[in-house]
Formats: sequence, structure tokens, C-alpha cells
Amino acid sequence: MTDISETAPVTVPDPRTAATAPRPDPSSIWAFRGTLSRRAQIGIGVGTSVGLLLIWEAVARIGLVNTTFLPSPSTVLSSMLMMVQKQNLLQHAGISTLRVWVAFILAAVMAIPIGILMSSYRVVGAALEPIIDFIRYLPVPALVPLSIIWFGVGESTKLYLLWLGTFFQLVLLVADDMRRVPHEYIEIAHTLGANTRQTLRDVAFRAMLPGLVDNLRITLGWCWTYLIIAEIVAADSGIGFVIWTARRYMKTPEVMAGVVVIGVIGLVTDQLLRALHRRAFRYL
Amino acid sequence: MIEPYLAFHGVTKRFGDLDVVAQPFSISVARNEFVVFLGPSGCGKTTLMRMIGGLETPSSGAICLEGLPVGGPDHRRGMVFQSYSSFPWLTVAENVLFGMRYRKDLTEQQKLARRDNYLELVGLYDFSDAYPNKVSGGMRQRVAIARTLAAGSDVMLMDEPFGALDAQRRERLQVELRAIQRRDAKTIVFVTHDVEEAVFLADRVIVFSKRPARVMADIDITERLGAERPLELRDSPEFFQLRNAVLRLLREAAGDEE
Ligand SMILES: Nc1ncnc2c1ncn2[C@@H]1O[C@H](COP(=O)(O)OP(=O)(O)OP(=O)(O)O)[C@@H](O)[C@H]1O
Ligand SMILES: [Mg+2]
Repeated sequence: MTDISETAPVTVPDPRTAATAPRPDPSSIWAFRGTLSRRAQIGIGVGTSVGLLLIWEAVARIGLVNTTFLPSPSTVLSSMLMMVQKQNLLQHAGISTLRVWVAFILAAVMAIPIGILMSSYRVVGAALEPIIDFIRYLPVPALVPLSIIWFGVGESTKLYLLWLGTFFQLVLLVADDMRRVPHEYIEIAHTLGANTRQTLRDVAFRAMLPGLVDNLRITLGWCWTYLIIAEIVAADSGIGFVIWTARRYMKTPEVMAGVVVIGVIGLVTDQLLRALHRRAFRYL
Repeated sequence: MIEPYLAFHGVTKRFGDLDVVAQPFSISVARNEFVVFLGPSGCGKTTLMRMIGGLETPSSGAICLEGLPVGGPDHRRGMVFQSYSSFPWLTVAENVLFGMRYRKDLTEQQKLARRDNYLELVGLYDFSDAYPNKVSGGMRQRVAIARTLAAGSDVMLMDEPFGALDAQRRERLQVELRAIQRRDAKTIVFVTHDVEEAVFLADRVIVFSKRPARVMADIDITERLGAERPLELRDSPEFFQLRNAVLRLLREAAGDEE
């Protein structure tokens, strides 16, 4: 073995061009998979939203777009205020919210026990899974005519459509939550002398609860989607009705105001439920 | 003849067409004995232990506790698993208390007193109000041990309970577990892959062959090392020799794999 350095000169890599892995500055907001303080996150979120609104406003004012199609945010806001005063917008929003919650609670009250049973007893799972899986893939709008034939155009049609859109999805989500409960927990309960009912109540249900609450929150969001369909098709009240009526007269600002109201209700509900989740499941 | 405390009488076990224990398996474990099952991966140690716990039923033969065949699980045979050993939604103290939740023969006062007693015993009293995700892996295993003790289990079944811990924590817990077992007079069946752990903890090490499981060796450790197991024992030549002997047996048991 000869000394390599004598025959072949060792090349010292230039530190500026050295092909080492980039070492990002961890304090940079662009750090790959880095962290960001809560305040910074909120600030950036609000900043982006406000920025977009301003651009939109400017675009509408300058006249780059036809305001019949894209009215400015300020116009939308002022029609929203007008609608609150003259068209009972809040009342319509209240009715819609009530419908969503009634149908959602109905779906949840039925889906939770059934989902739990499906994962607790193979027979129940085997019996129900094919049916539920099939119905789950039926698009809710396609069922509108059928539900009008069955229930007419009254309140029950809307509740039924909402229920239809959430129940079958929720059952499978609940069943999944239950299936994911580690078998060790169940066995621990059994070796401590718990019977099946006690194991379900004190351990399995408790273990699945965080996942369940999360899935309820997500499903509640879907309820709003179906609500609008239901209210457009068959209603004389509710946000969907307001939007659809405004569309008929090409009152774009009012259409948008209605959409924004739904967005706001959705956002607020979602944040409230998230906060609830954080408080209730501190141990996570 | 005195009826042994815990006994396998000609037990076999099949899962479908997979023979886990083919030859009828018989051993007996004395009261307050610390028995360690050692064997190649997949040989059936967990299955044997779960049968004691009543979480699996033998395909033939019987497992008897104090002469009576064991049925389904109950609080006299407690389990400590490697993972998911404590409930994350309960605090350390609540987890230990949960061990007695279904015992009707204890008053609330007695339960609380037992809870505090066992929290103290495993050195977790100061962490009573912490949630399991806020304490170390070793502490979580101690929570499970305290829960099982508080439940009043006479037999503790431990399936690689320290498998996920670093070496130092493991050693500390081994010393503690051995002390608890001596002090509280428990019968323990313990499964591990770690030969040193087996020799250090056990009164008796049982080495299994590859699946289908057969007993390759049944080694009386206490006869050779005594019942006291201070940490220093690990450095003694006797321990070292015994460890090597068991390791050789285990290699033989694993057979042509190596
Ligand atoms: N419920 C079950 N159904 C079917 N096969 C099973 C079941 N439980 C265990 N087995 C099989 O039985 C054999 C023994 O498994 P067991 O878990 O008892 O082995 P082990 O000695 O504990 O292994 P390890 O050291 O890897 O934990 C394995 O081949 C396993 O796949
Ligand atoms: Mg195992």
C-alpha cells in the first residue's frame, strides 16, 4: 500500500460548493417540517385571508371583472346586513342549523350503537357491512326524487336526506373507531374481572371516544353539504332557500352572503368542537 | 401427593392447522415461584401464558390453579402486556384504582388504601396525577404492575413487559420486580427473549424448542444463585456461567436457524 496522497492529490472540497446536506436554519419560518408559534400561525392565517379579500375588493372596484358575477366583498357584506334586517337572514340560518343538528343527532344516536355492535360482534358486522357499504356509495342527490315521493316536500324529507347522507358514513366510521381499540385494553379489563357490558362501557367506549368525537365533528360538516341540496330542492325556509331565491333574481351579492353565512357557521362550530376535544382529551 | 399450585396437564394447542404445542405439555409451578419462559421467536410462549390467563383455551388437556381447572380470565391471574399496558385516559393513580374496580369485596376506603400502598411500592406515588403519556415507558410498566398487584392477582403473567425499555431502566425494574415478588409473595410467569433478564429474575427458567413447543430444559436458578438478586449479582462469575449455559441451550433450541 502506498500513500495515496502522494500520487493522487487530495481534493479539499470548497465549503461553498460542498455537497453536504443542507442544514436549514431552524428559526426560519421556511424550515422544512419546522415549527411555528401559535401566534405566528394565527397571524399568517389572518394576514393571507385579509390580503385575498383586499385583492378581490380591488379587482372588483377597478372593474377587472363583471360585478354581476363577482361582487366585491364590501358589497357582499352590505347585502348580508341588509338581509339580516329585511329578510330574516338570521332566522333562516337558525332554521338551517336546527335541521342540521336534528338530523345529525338522529344519525349519531343510531350510528353509534350500531357501529359499536358491528365491531363488537362479528355477526352484526357481517350482516350489516355489505348493505351499509352499498348505500354509502349512493349519491345523496340521486335519492332526492325518491325521498320526495316517500316524504313529500315537508320537513321530514330534508331531515331524511341529511340523515341519509350522514348515518351510513358514520356507522362505518364508528365501527372503525371501535375496531382500532387495542385488544390489550379489552383483555386487561377481562383479567380484572369486567364482564362484556362493563368492558364495553368502561374501557372500549372510553378508548374510542377521542376518535369518535373527531368523526362526529367531520360528519357534522357533511351534514351542511346535504342541507343545502335539501333546501334548494324542497324548502321555503333556511339558508339554502335564501341562496336559491336570490339566484333566481341574479342577486349575486345575496347568493354570496348566504354562502358566507354557511361558511362562518361551519367554521365556528368546527373550532368550538375542536376546542372541546382538546379540553376533554387532555391526556392525548 | 400435594397438588401443585399452578399446573399444565397434558396441554396442546392448535390454531386452525397450526400446531403451537403438539406434544402434550406438562409442568407445574410452585406458589411464589418466579418462572421465566425462554424460547425462539414464535415458539408459543405467549400462547402458553395466555392460556394460563384464560385468554386462550387449550385444545386438549387442562391448566389448573390450586387443583381447579382455570376458566375465563379473572382478577386472580393478572396480565402485564408489553404495550398498551395502561389506560391513557386515566391518571397513574386512577389506573391503579381501576385494578379493583370490579371487586365487590373491598370497600371504597380499602381500595384507596391499597391504591396508595401499591403506588408507593412501585415508586409512583409522586406521579399519581400524571397521565401515562407524560411518564416514561418504565413508569408505565410499573403502573401496570401496581394495577395487577392492587387487583389482588396471585399469579402475574408478564409478556416481555420490559421489552421496549432501555438497558438501564430495564435493570432497575428487574431488581424492583424481583423484590416485589419476594415481598408480596406472588407467583410470576414471565416471558422474555433476553437470557440475562431470564437468569437474573427467575427461580426457574424453562427453555422451549422451536414451534411446536417442547420443553428443552428446565433450569433451577435459585439452586445455583440463591433467592436474593442484588444488582451486583450480574457481575459475578456464577451468573456469567449460568447465563452462558442458558444461552447455549437457547441456541440449541433454536436449532438450525443459527
Ligand atoms: N390467535 C392466533 N391465531 C392463529 N395463530 C396464532 C394466534 N396466536 C398465535 N398464533 C401463532 O402461534 C405461534 C406462536 O405464537 P406465540 O405468540 O405464542 O409465540 P411467542 O413464542 O410468544 O413468539 P414471540 O417470541 O415472537 O413473542 C405463532 O406462529 C403465531 O403466529
Ligand atoms: Mg410472544
